[in-house]
Amino acid sequence: MIQLENLSKYYGTLAAVESLNLEIQPGEIFGFLGPNGAGKTTTIRVMMGILKPSSGRATLGGYDVVREPEKAKAITGFVPDRAFIYEKLSGREFLKFVGSLHRMDSPRLERRIAHLLEHFELWEWRDELVEGYSHGMKQRLVLSASLLHEPRILIIDEPMVGIDPRGAKMLKDLFLSLAKSGTTVFLSTHSVGVAEEICQRVGIIHRGRLIASGSMAELYRMARIEEGGLESAFLELTRDGTSP
Amino acid sequence: MSALVVLLSPPVLSWKNDLRTGSPARWLRRLVLLGLGAAFWIGTYWTLKRVLAYFQTVYELGPALAYQLLLIILLTFLSMLLFSNLITSLSTFFLARDLDLVRSAPIPPSSFFYARLITTTVNSSWMVLFFSFPIFAAYGAVFRGGGLFYLWTLLVLPLFLIIPAALGVLITHLLVYWLPARRIRDILFFIGLFAFIVLYFLFRFSQPERLVEPETFGHFLEFLTAMETPSSPFLPSSWSAEIFASVLFARPVNRWFFFALLSSYALFLPLAASWVSAAVYISGWSKAQEARQGRHHSDLLDRIIHWLTHPFPQITKAIMTKDIKSFLRDATQWSQLFLLLALVAVYLYNFKVLPLDRSPIPSATLRTVVSFTNVALAGFVLSAVAMRFAFPAVSLEGRAFWILQTSPIALKSLLWSKFWLNLIPLLVLGELLVFFSNTLLRVPSWMMTLSLITVFFMTFGITAIGVGVGALYPKFHYDHVAEIPTSFGGAICMIFSVAFIGATVMIEAWPVYLLAMEGLNPGSTSAGSWVLAPSLAGVALLTILAVVVPIKLGLSGLEEMPD
Repeated sequence: MIQLENLSKYYGTLAAVESLNLEIQPGEIFGFLGPNGAGKTTTIRVMMGILKPSSGRATLGGYDVVREPEKAKAITGFVPDRAFIYEKLSGREFLKFVGSLHRMDSPRLERRIAHLLEHFELWEWRDELVEGYSHGMKQRLVLSASLLHEPRILIIDEPMVGIDPRGAKMLKDLFLSLAKSGTTVFLSTHSVGVAEEICQRVGIIHRGRLIASGSMAELYRMARIEEGGLESAFLELTRDGTSP
Repeated sequence: MSALVVLLSPPVLSWKNDLRTGSPARWLRRLVLLGLGAAFWIGTYWTLKRVLAYFQTVYELGPALAYQLLLIILLTFLSMLLFSNLITSLSTFFLARDLDLVRSAPIPPSSFFYARLITTTVNSSWMVLFFSFPIFAAYGAVFRGGGLFYLWTLLVLPLFLIIPAALGVLITHLLVYWLPARRIRDILFFIGLFAFIVLYFLFRFSQPERLVEPETFGHFLEFLTAMETPSSPFLPSSWSAEIFASVLFARPVNRWFFFALLSSYALFLPLAASWVSAAVYISGWSKAQEARQGRHHSDLLDRIIHWLTHPFPQITKAIMTKDIKSFLRDATQWSQLFLLLALVAVYLYNFKVLPLDRSPIPSATLRTVVSFTNVALAGFVLSAVAMRFAFPAVSLEGRAFWILQTSPIALKSLLWSKFWLNLIPLLVLGELLVFFSNTLLRVPSWMMTLSLITVFFMTFGITAIGVGVGALYPKFHYDHVAEIPTSFGGAICMIFSVAFIGATVMIEAWPVYLLAMEGLNPGSTSAGSWVLAPSLAGVALLTILAVVVPIKLGLSGLEEMPD
């Protein structure tokens, strides 16, 4: 469902992402782990067509994100790490706007908006301007927007930042149920605990390169550890350098 | 003291680093801006020097006129400085993004206050300082002020800048103590705009052009004699003018007295502001962070917007709806419409009072010439309005631009929706301007038709240049919408618009000249209305270029996906 082939992105001479190869199956929850500045956000921005890759290619659902960006984006939902939204629109108006960008017809859009606002406990705030929302409410609104068109792929950058324990539990349950219904979830995070809890496979990126990828058992084997879980494996695999 | 230096270091270091690490394209931008700045300086210096030299030729009255002009200039600067300091201090003291970091550090409140006061003064005053240099240079050159004049300028200017800065900071503290900061910014912007419009009307409707008419010259002399003394003796601008006048025109005043007055206020006001700040800052800042909005849902507005946008495709309609709602809910955006209305009112009034009948040239010919000039003028008004609304259209997406970037839409839909949304009101404005001004001028029907068609074409080009260049040089990170047109891209947009209007006028100039000559001396050129056809075709072609090229450039700029 998601395929990255020799994907590289350079900022001048600095390699932010280098020769990244990855394949993720439908219905899989894939954790993308790495220290700060490892290249996680750059990879995601290339996958979402916000940044142009320097070389290589990324395909979502078989669509090349550079050659067929509209088709690739139509089947994908995206939640960035810092989500700025239109402050002068109300929550409902914002969702209506995003739904229209996805060419959703009116009855379906209204139904989805009501469902998602209820689900994310924003219904009472639907007609308030976004500028009056708290950080957590904005996060939930952006998440609602990303799910409006029932995407086949969900790409999320650092989903747990600024979310309370109840919200975090709700998110984890949501990812699991989405995966169950066939949606591919690409979860970028530096929270090892979350990845260990819900991801079927994990990729570890370090200094722009994918240094390990596989199930938990495979990662433990690669790190040559028997106990301590994913955290120990992660520290062992990224041991040669510290996060900047 | 060291805390003050530390607090001032981030902007200084940022500025230094910005200057050190520049790509060739960035240096090119700087060079262009520098070139524009130099051209402005030279232009101001040259014009003012000529005006002052002309004043000097007026027997006895030269210095009095120059003194009055200096008073007006300094008073204008003072009011600009006060307003700009009010707005800037709201940001630096209450809304800046680094406040959490700085206020949570163990630094004395007085260091924080003075660091912010200095930042406010510099940010608000540099532009006025920049504008003032050629003015002082022209005064010094014409009235042979010499080294002494420049020395006094160096002594007076810092004091002149500190007074409105401290006063602005003080007033802002009191305002924020009573009202929420985010609303104050809107209110101040609104008040400032309103004050400007009132001043603009007062100036225009006083008909300054009558001063050159001989029959009113007697009153003018009386007026000037009465104005030998400053009309506002309690303002720092008058004190500064007295000091400069004593050096330049040898006015018999004690310049040290006025210097002492300026100095005492420049010392006292910052101190007074620091006391007020110590008393009210924390509660004011705390309030500034609280924002609770009411509900926003109007079926009527939704219906109107739906009706206005229904001919467009779904995505264009969605973007237009979002833009219209954001525009109506943002006071800093919609309040600029008042400026537009004032501009239009004065524009039309100018045509009403034109003394065409007193000219030695036959009235009908003159009306044709003025009407043709009017087409270019309407073009300039449209491009000024486009700079305010069409140019920032893409930048207004701000940091929420990722939503459109990650949506399954072609970015050209975005540009075209911005284009149509701006074109329609600009088209209505342009056509009304030309129709009413031509009606007031009583121009022949062929001129009316030509003007309406030309403005119709021109609006398409001007709007596309605004939207396209705005997309080529987007400014997604801004504090206030009014700062978007003041960027490098804004200068480029203005240059393109003026070039386009100039080219359009040049294409039509020859046939209009032939028809005007025919009107003046029938049978002299044998030109009929048909001579307009080729030039109108030329304008249509030029318009197509002016629409397609900027939109394509803007689109490729956005699709480049800058890192």
